[in-house]
Amino acid sequence: MNQFGMNLFIKSIIVTSSVLAASAANAEWAKRGDIKFQQQFFTDNALHTATQSANSSIAGNAEFNKAIGENGNFTISPFFRLDQHDDERTHVDLREFIYRHSGDTWEVSAGLGKVFWGVAESNNIVDIINQKDAVEGINPEHKLGQPMINLLLLRDWGEVSLFVLPGFRERTFVGKDGRPRALLPVQSDDPLYESGNKQSHVDLAARVSGAIDEWDLGAHIFHGTAREPQLLFPSLTPFYYQMTQVGFDVQGTLESWLIKTESVFKTGENIKDHIQLVTGFEYSFYSVADSSVDIGVVAEYLHDSRGKQADTVFQNDILFGLRFALNDEQSTDALIGVITDADGGGHVFSAEASRRIGDKFKFTLEALVWSNGEKDPLLSQFQQEDYVQFELGYFF
Amino acid sequence: MNKLYAAPIAIALLATPFSSALAQTAEERGLEIAIEANAVNDGFKDSTSSMKMTLINRSGKKSVRRMRAKTLEVTGDGDKSMTIFDEPADVKGTASLTYSHSTKADEQWLFLPALKRVKRISSKNKTGAFMGSEFAFEDISSQEVEKYTYKYLGDEEIDGIAVYKVEAYPAYKYSGYTRLINYIDQDRKVPLKTEFFDRKDKLLKTLSFSDYVHHDGEHWRAGRMEMINAQTGKSTILEFSDYAFATGLGDKDFSSNALKKLR
Repeated sequence: MNQFGMNLFIKSIIVTSSVLAASAANAEWAKRGDIKFQQQFFTDNALHTATQSANSSIAGNAEFNKAIGENGNFTISPFFRLDQHDDERTHVDLREFIYRHSGDTWEVSAGLGKVFWGVAESNNIVDIINQKDAVEGINPEHKLGQPMINLLLLRDWGEVSLFVLPGFRERTFVGKDGRPRALLPVQSDDPLYESGNKQSHVDLAARVSGAIDEWDLGAHIFHGTAREPQLLFPSLTPFYYQMTQVGFDVQGTLESWLIKTESVFKTGENIKDHIQLVTGFEYSFYSVADSSVDIGVVAEYLHDSRGKQADTVFQNDILFGLRFALNDEQSTDALIGVITDADGGGHVFSAEASRRIGDKFKFTLEALVWSNGEKDPLLSQFQQEDYVQFELGYFF
Repeated sequence: MNKLYAAPIAIALLATPFSSALAQTAEERGLEIAIEANAVNDGFKDSTSSMKMTLINRSGKKSVRRMRAKTLEVTGDGDKSMTIFDEPADVKGTASLTYSHSTKADEQWLFLPALKRVKRISSKNKTGAFMGSEFAFEDISSQEVEKYTYKYLGDEEIDGIAVYKVEAYPAYKYSGYTRLINYIDQDRKVPLKTEFFDRKDKLLKTLSFSDYVHHDGEHWRAGRMEMINAQTGKSTILEFSDYAFATGLGDKDFSSNALKKLR
């Protein structure tokens, strides 16, 4: 299916979803979701063509779930964003449109789904199934619905999950009128593929996971189209190559310590074989000074064996973060962090805080600052893109 | 043993013959009673229920949380339990899974619905506030005989009801309490009141139990619990409904995969 076809497909499903959502007003559908108003302020003048210093947008996401018979379950989760400036950021998606049938020791799912793999805080390099909805923000937690058929085998020791992925979703990128972005916008409308089947290439994946006492372990293999494209110079055209990835993730939960590691090996015709690694810990101080406040310290090291040739900014970097949870009535919490390039390529500072207002609203503040990135060709392009973002969400 | 709803019942006392008490130290009787109380609470197999939690601050302002719970009785160890949150709306769909253990640390997972992520979390945080309430995690976790040592303090009356007064000392080194005092209805063998003393041995909180229902003629459960913080003036009221027992839940309903499927 080409991009247009995929969009049409998704839009028609969204229309269907809206109709279903309307009927979801009755009690048979479990529903949850939010509508969020977002306001961004950019503190510096851009070095590129998107010169606005402020940007408004509104986004909505809902999840409707219905049991079908004794063992069936259907989930629909439409998403939209309307953005004041960026046409690329104005988009719709179906995060989920999936039927699941559960047996005693197995499950089969088919449709558009969302899957999470990984344990790390900074970057989940093993999390390969879904494409990133990168236009949603720097935070990689926003993901596009992935066409999939999934067989899950449940065992006493853990589970085996097998995937056939019959359609590819292109990564979204901030457009020419959007911020924050690099000096040139990615030409996301005209991507290149290694596979002649382009978006119709069928990818395969498998994961085995389980727990041994306080250690959670997972190992996976993926064969198919890379989720993260190479950006070809000088036009910044995304190139989606074919690759095989094997990797593992492990977390030890040892009282106040969480010990975390993710690693992958990637190989393919069009890439240099390489290893990526994220490893670190989180230590929590609970009920600090007999108050209800918890403070967590997070430290992670990110590595890419290609070094400077890596297509990621995380080739030799250190994350240090502090997490605060006030555990008050309004669930106030905050996370501040800095990612430092160990090769002297600069810092990225981030801060995020949120607080519930009443029972239905939540206020979130986010700020991102790029600093001293001159030596890093990618980070340096974000020097003028610092921003502060306010978000007010209504939840239902 | 059972989770939240029956937690204090776990430390409830069975009436023991006075003659046998004479031959025992107060500590021995306390332990004996705890073991018997534990046995009395056994045999519910599994349970499901709904809970409304009302947080009341000093100025009387209220905020409400709603959740549902499932518990699986595990013979010879702590129970398995799941809690799914319905309100406030921003945490709707969030769910937790706990395997409690009597002799080693509990195991705990959290499901974050927006990310579809199951996160293994530390269970060391016993003193923290559950959902911003006056209940600490250790107040609502599965209670096992081995988690306390005991001392029988004597008999008293609460609102004209004869009660046993029993002190319990947490064995867990990270507990927020030096001791608890339980007041147990001598007739129905259910707790009517628990007092919690902080690390400085000052009265911190008082928990009152009421609206007891004898479900299926077998399982006593309080319909209402009120925790009042003596130091801050804040309080939390828990109201329970929709209790069901022996519903046929099994191990597979308490797995991390099942956690993803809760609605």
